Parts: sequence; structure tokens; C-alpha cells
Amino acid sequence: MLELDGLSKKFKQFYAVKSLNMFVERGEIIGLLGPNGAGKSTAISMISSLAEPTAGDVRYNNKSILKKPGEFRKIVGMVPQEIALYTDLTAEENLQFFGRMYRLKGSILKKRIQEILDLVGLADRKKDVVQTFSGGMKRRLNIGVALLHDPELLIMDEPTVGIDPQSRNYILETVKRLNKERAMTVIYTSHYMEEVEFLCDRIYIMDQGNLIASGTNEEIKRILSSEKTISIKSDQLNEQFIAMLQEHPLVNRVMSTDKEITLMVAKEVSMFGDLTKLAETAGIELTSVHNKTPTLEDVFLHLTGRALRD
Amino acid sequence: MIGILLTKIRMFIRNPWTFIIFTVMSIGFALIIGGNGAATTISVPIYAEDNSVKGSTLEKVLKEDEAFRFNWLKEEEEMLEQIENGKAEVGVILRDTSYQLIVGVDSPNATMIEQAIQRAYRAHNLETALLEVSATNAEEERVSVLEAFDKSMNIPAFEMETTSFRSEDAVIYDNTFQTLFGFTLFFVIYTIAYKLQPILVEKRDGIWDRMILSPVRKWEVYVANLVYSFIEGYVQIVIIFCIFRFWIGVDFHGKFLEALLLITPYIFSIVALSILFTAIVKNVQQFNAIIPIIAVSMAMIGGAYWPLEIVESKILITISKINPLTYGMEILNGVVLYGYTLEDLLFPISILVLMGVVMTGLGIHLMERRHV
Repeated sequence: MLELDGLSKKFKQFYAVKSLNMFVERGEIIGLLGPNGAGKSTAISMISSLAEPTAGDVRYNNKSILKKPGEFRKIVGMVPQEIALYTDLTAEENLQFFGRMYRLKGSILKKRIQEILDLVGLADRKKDVVQTFSGGMKRRLNIGVALLHDPELLIMDEPTVGIDPQSRNYILETVKRLNKERAMTVIYTSHYMEEVEFLCDRIYIMDQGNLIASGTNEEIKRILSSEKTISIKSDQLNEQFIAMLQEHPLVNRVMSTDKEITLMVAKEVSMFGDLTKLAETAGIELTSVHNKTPTLEDVFLHLTGRALRD
Repeated sequence: MIGILLTKIRMFIRNPWTFIIFTVMSIGFALIIGGNGAATTISVPIYAEDNSVKGSTLEKVLKEDEAFRFNWLKEEEEMLEQIENGKAEVGVILRDTSYQLIVGVDSPNATMIEQAIQRAYRAHNLETALLEVSATNAEEERVSVLEAFDKSMNIPAFEMETTSFRSEDAVIYDNTFQTLFGFTLFFVIYTIAYKLQPILVEKRDGIWDRMILSPVRKWEVYVANLVYSFIEGYVQIVIIFCIFRFWIGVDFHGKFLEALLLITPYIFSIVALSILFTAIVKNVQQFNAIIPIIAVSMAMIGGAYWPLEIVESKILITISKINPLTYGMEILNGVVLYGYTLEDLLFPISILVLMGVVMTGLGIHLMERRHV
């Protein structure tokens, strides 16, 4: 359905996206995962024909969309990262406005607006001005606007940023439902690996403009088949302990937060004894040590040495 | 395009305050600084020493004087106090057959006040002489004699017409129109510019992207924004002029509709200037900072605050030639004060249209370079 061929975007000397290759099949949910600044939004802008690539091509049904994006734009629904709504207008008025942009009129527009309001769970708030909405409600309406013209391809750029867990679940379930019930193809960018894991059939991981991994959830996690993750928790973690772990010959990678350290070691290595000794030397008491199933977060750590939310 | 326009009108109805504030400010400033169109009169304290003066022709004539407002006082001391305190330049003491001028400040007004007093005495003396000649004492007869006199004065035996000549270069300065036109053209810059500012917000928030992805053509989005800001700017000018013409009673010398019609190129050029600045700045904050600077500079250089004729600096005069406000003032002053025809005003109109076309083209081009 959609193919990206060596897509690059350069700003002066800096590559925001470098040689991105990607394909999307009809009915798939594709995840574009990466930390802030990875180049996801730039890639999305080029895919949706809003930004011109420095090099490469975007093909829809084997036709380049770069020169004549008109036909492609008709089947695309775009959910930008920002709340792209008129906050002085009501939910219904916003949908009316964007519906008219898509040449929807009269009873068809009315019916469509009602469907969308029901879908995003805002039917009872349709007469309320958007600026009175919570963050989650605004995000839901933001998605609703993109669905007005019943697009084949829905492109969502971090649609759950800054909202409460309930609204996030609602949005994720809605996306899943759209994909299942209407066979809608979705490109979903996020830096929340759990969202991408939950939603996506295939995942592309980006970092600093480069594509660093791609495949299904399982395929990507298999990258870590030779390694395992150990999670260490303590209230007294200190620099000395972390330094000792980093210098340990069997530890491949170390990632630390205030109360947790994640280690990546070879699958066959047993670290428990060494960890106890190191903790004793550093003068700290460990709360827990356990082996974890690898997550996308671990894959990203393995590939880049940094956490997704760095 | 209609959809965008309707939405903008809907948002205007919901939040019309920017428009209202700038309209009220235009009217307020024009009224406070320019007056209400009536000739400003000088107040002159006057005291009648003889009782016979009160109710006589003297009082009647002085009350009808257009240049001075004679303020009748009961006490002579009160009048002297006003002169001492500088509240009045000149005071007058009236007697039956003579008068006394008390001059506090030696100014040309004293001579003009004396002339007004003399006119009143001449009328008074003429009436007294007429009644003496008619040799009548009955009140009814006196009244009928005076009525006959008034009637004959209204149908004179011959008329004398006085005309003054003015050279083509002569400058007409009317403070009412200077402030009315100046502040109207100045404040409308804000109204128009702030109606194009949402383009920056729409671009920042992704609304613009949504419109670009929709089947709406890009030119429709631009035209809708430009037309809307034009309409709002024009409506503001119409409201201000209507208030001054029909409510306050300013005489546009029969050129009210012409003034409203011929100011449209100015509005077009301001819309164009605003779209140019919308394209040049990077965000709303920059736009909000730059617009007041531009508007005030344009008003100062373009003759909105004071007539350009008093500006001597050649540099400022040269800069004023590239300022749309200069030509806006030229059109309004030309049509209302000088009675120029459309043909006479073709030059400023053409310049404004040219400026509008160039700045619109440049603005949209710059905006497009930043955005697909």
C-alpha cells in the first residue's frame, strides 16, 4: 500500500531522517518508536505529504505521491501531535468546520459528526467549547476530526502525549477497534513502548534520524535472544555501585534511575553472587534482584545504550 | 472558502472584543483630541453694569455669536477673578451706551472680541434709532416695527457676496478630520493585523496542516483569511465614520460615501502588509511585538498624528512615500477637505493597490517557502 524508499530530510548540516526504508500493508498497524528527537514526526510529515523530503520517495500503490499528493491526501487522516482544534468553538462546530473542509455537507455531515462524537465518546459534550475540555477529551476530538472523511490510512503522531491513563486506554482501544472493524491502516508514532507493543503488528524503531530495527514485536525482541535483563532495586543506590557494575566484565550494559538499575548480561551468566558482593562493598542493601522478560525498552537500550525516554 | 469565512465570523461573534476595543479607541481618541466637529469657541466672561443691557438686542446678538461664548456673570469681581486666574483672556463690562474691555492676556482674540462687541452695539443702536424714528411707545407697535425690520433684513434690496481665493498649494487643516482620519487609519492597522495573526496559531497548532491535507485549495485558505481581515477592517472604518457623520454630526462636505469607497485600497494595502509580516515573523510572540512598532511608526511618519505638511525632515518625507498610511490620509483629506475627484486621487490609489499586490505576493511566497 505505502512504501518509503530511502527517505531523508536534511536541515542545513543535520539529518532529521536518514535513508528511511519502510513499507505498510493494507490493514496493518505500524508503530514508529523512538525517543524525542528520533525523527518520527519529520518522517510522519513526509509520509503525509506535508514536508518535502531532501531525498528518497514515498509511493502509494506504486505511485510517487511527492509531485501529485492530491489523491493520496484524500485517503489520509492525520492526527498531529498538537491539539489542532479551534478552542473557541464547540466540539460539534470543530467537526462541522473540518467536515466542510472535506466537502461534507448537509445531512451527510450531520450524520458523520454524530458517528464521530459517539466513537470518541464526546456526544454528551458536543455543545461545549473545546477550551473547557480536559486534555484527554481534546485528544479524543483531535482524533475524531481526522476520522471525519473516513480515511483508509490514519497517521497518528504521539496522540496520547500528556493525558491520563483512562483517556490513553480509550484512545488505544479506539485505534484497535478502527483497525479491526473498519480495516483501517494505522501508522502510530510514540515513545511509549507499551503503547506500541499493545497496538502494533510491526514496529520500526528510530533513533537520531536512523532506522535501527524493524519487524514484529517478537522479531524485535529476538534481537535480545542471547541476552537477558536483570532489574536491581534499592533505596540506597550510589555512584560507586553503578561504577562497579559498569566495570564488571560480564555486564554488557547498565541503565540506572533513582531506585532501579537495569543490567544486560549474556543469557547464561548468573550474576546473583557477584551482585551481592558488589552491594556489600558499596555499602548498600538490595531490595530486589530479578530477571526480566525483554521488552522493547530493553531492545532500545541494547541497540543505543540509552533509554527510550532519555 | 465559505466554510473558513463562516467559522471566522462565528469566532468573531463569540469574541468580538479586539474589534470593539480598537473601534472605541479610534472614536475616543478622535473625539478627545479632535473635538466633536463643532468650532471650538472661546469663553468670554461678561458683566452688564446697566440693567437695561440684559434682555436687549445687545444680549441677543452676543448670544448668537459663533466665534465666542459670552458667559454672563452677576458680579464684576467674578469676572476680574477669572482674568486674574488666567481662566479668561479678556472680560467685558457692558453699559447702556458704552463698554469696557478688560484685557488679561494681550492676544489677537482681544481685537476679535472687541469687534464682536462693536457689532452687537451697532445692532443695538440701529434698533434704538429705528424705534425713535417710528416715535411709538406702545409695546405692541414697537414689536411690530422690529418684526417688520427683521423681515426686511431677510429680504435685502441687494446682496453682497464675499469670496476668498486659495492657491492650489494651500494647505487646509481641519483638526476634526485630521484626528478622525488619523486615528481611524492607525487603529485599523491593529484590527486587520490581529485578524491575520491566527494564521500563525493555526500553523503552530497543526490546523493549517489539516486544511492543507483536505481537498480545500491553498489559495482558498489564503483568500478566506485575507477577505475576512479586509471585511473586519472595512466594517470598523464604516462604523467610525457613521458615528461621526450621523451621531456626532461631522460634516463630510457631501463626500461621505466617496470617502468610504475610496479608502478601500488603503485597507487592501494594510491587509497585504499584515500578511507580509505574518510570513516574516517566526511566531505569535514576534508578531505581537512587531505590529505595535510598525503601526506607531507608520502613524508618525504617515501623518496620522500630525499633518505631514509640518514635517521638515527630508528623510522622514522620503520614508513617508513608502508608507500606505500617507496615501490613505492623502485620499481621505483629498476627497473630503479638498473635494478632489477620483481622477485627482488616482495616484495614491494606484500606489496603494500596487503596494497591496506586491506585499501580498511576497508574503504568500515567503510563507510558502517555510511550509509545503
